[in-house]
Amino acid sequence: MEIRLRILLLTGLLGLSGSLSGCATLRHLFGPADPAAPTAAPADAGASTDRGSGDDTTPPRVIEPQVERRDVKVPRIKSQDIELGGYIGTLNIEDFGAHRVFGIQAAYHITEDFFFQAEAGRSKAGRTSFETLSNISLLTDNERWFKYYDVSVGYNFLPGEVFLGRNHAMTSSFYILAGVGSTDFGGDSKFTGNFGAGYKILPTDWLAVHVAVEDRVFNTDLLGVNKLASNLEAHLGLTAFF
Amino acid sequence: MLVLSVLAGPAARAASQNLQVFVTSPYLELHTGPGRGYPVFNVVDRDASVDVLKRFTDWFKVRTASGVEGWVSAQDMEQTVLADGTHFHYDVGDLSAYTSHRFEAGIFFYGDYGGASAVSAYAAVFANPNLSAELSVGEFLGSASNGTTFDLGLAHIFYPQARLAPFVMLGTGVVHTEPKATLVQPDDRTEQSAYVGGGLRYYLTRRFFLRGEFKEHIIFTNRNQNEQVDEWKFGFAFFF
Repeated sequence: MEIRLRILLLTGLLGLSGSLSGCATLRHLFGPADPAAPTAAPADAGASTDRGSGDDTTPPRVIEPQVERRDVKVPRIKSQDIELGGYIGTLNIEDFGAHRVFGIQAAYHITEDFFFQAEAGRSKAGRTSFETLSNISLLTDNERWFKYYDVSVGYNFLPGEVFLGRNHAMTSSFYILAGVGSTDFGGDSKFTGNFGAGYKILPTDWLAVHVAVEDRVFNTDLLGVNKLASNLEAHLGLTAFF
Repeated sequence: MLVLSVLAGPAARAASQNLQVFVTSPYLELHTGPGRGYPVFNVVDRDASVDVLKRFTDWFKVRTASGVEGWVSAQDMEQTVLADGTHFHYDVGDLSAYTSHRFEAGIFFYGDYGGASAVSAYAAVFANPNLSAELSVGEFLGSASNGTTFDLGLAHIFYPQARLAPFVMLGTGVVHTEPKATLVQPDDRTEQSAYVGGGLRYYLTRRFFLRGEFKEHIIFTNRNQNEQVDEWKFGFAFFF
């Protein structure tokens, strides 16, 4: 293992030294200075011979450039690739009932088709039917918080327009999502896979209303047996583009 | 009059702040939405000007002289010129931009950190096409322990111009571990780590590429032996 580690470290160092040789400060260590360095201008030499070789003072310039360079400042185009917002909905926590969920979401739109999305939300679980019947609490009050986050890749499909009366058209799109994240529930954090689909309508260019359904799946042994828990969530979101 | 001037003030300023471009193709098509499928509802003639209001992905919202607003694709915008005659250009991303870009970021959707599942993301800034400084943040969730990792280091790409390029990494980090135990509850611990690793990048299209990597972490524990953790990751990344 020791030898393997040394080889890996040496490979890393070799790679770094290779890239440092591209630095401007180190470039001249191994060769001559910049070959494209300015040399005597041949045009000037030609001009001075025309005026006779007796005059050794520099000839006056025929045209004095008096036009100052105008600095044209190109206005920056505002981009709206980032989408931020929040949502409210219902989350069905397996075995613990369906409860209100709140969350925040952020997305970065890379193309008109693909986007990255991150979500973070929380809900509070109720009691399992076993707890209700036996009057025993399996979880403390704090452990009943169902907190999650995820990062997903989304794909917009079926983009379209919806019409509100004769004069208003709003762009809309269905999208699908898949990603990974973490869920903190029952005193433990679980690796969670999420996938879902949604529909969004943009009343204006910078505002979107989302309706989405997502499933959050993780392995749990909270109730004694190891099983895959599926937690379906439906939410209504409002986001703005920046 | 005062009210009028106050009302007109911001509008006039806003108009002057927008970039004005002139159409050089026979006509410029305006779409109803920022997407290839949205219908063309208006065209702007050659030599006419439009104000560029904003950009959403590869689409630009423009306003014509008569006040009509619509969306123009980045491809069509290339057929316009600025007031000084230079061509309008917006980089939608290609292999040459991929070769020399300044920033990149990505998300690793598959991760294995010493047997635990891991989620992580990274961001990098480039000093030259070969060398970048990278920051990565991750969470690992396993049956024995959970935890978070922060890594900061350098990466060197061997053939940045190639579609498939190998790279090596070297850096340091911090790992926070929360062990799971049923009988004795050990304390959470935060330890410094160092890593060496390598991987492959594969350019897909536009601003996208895939990235897969392996890191060997050495965690400097206060026990007799340092800990070694192997990490495998695979994910999507983009540059800008």
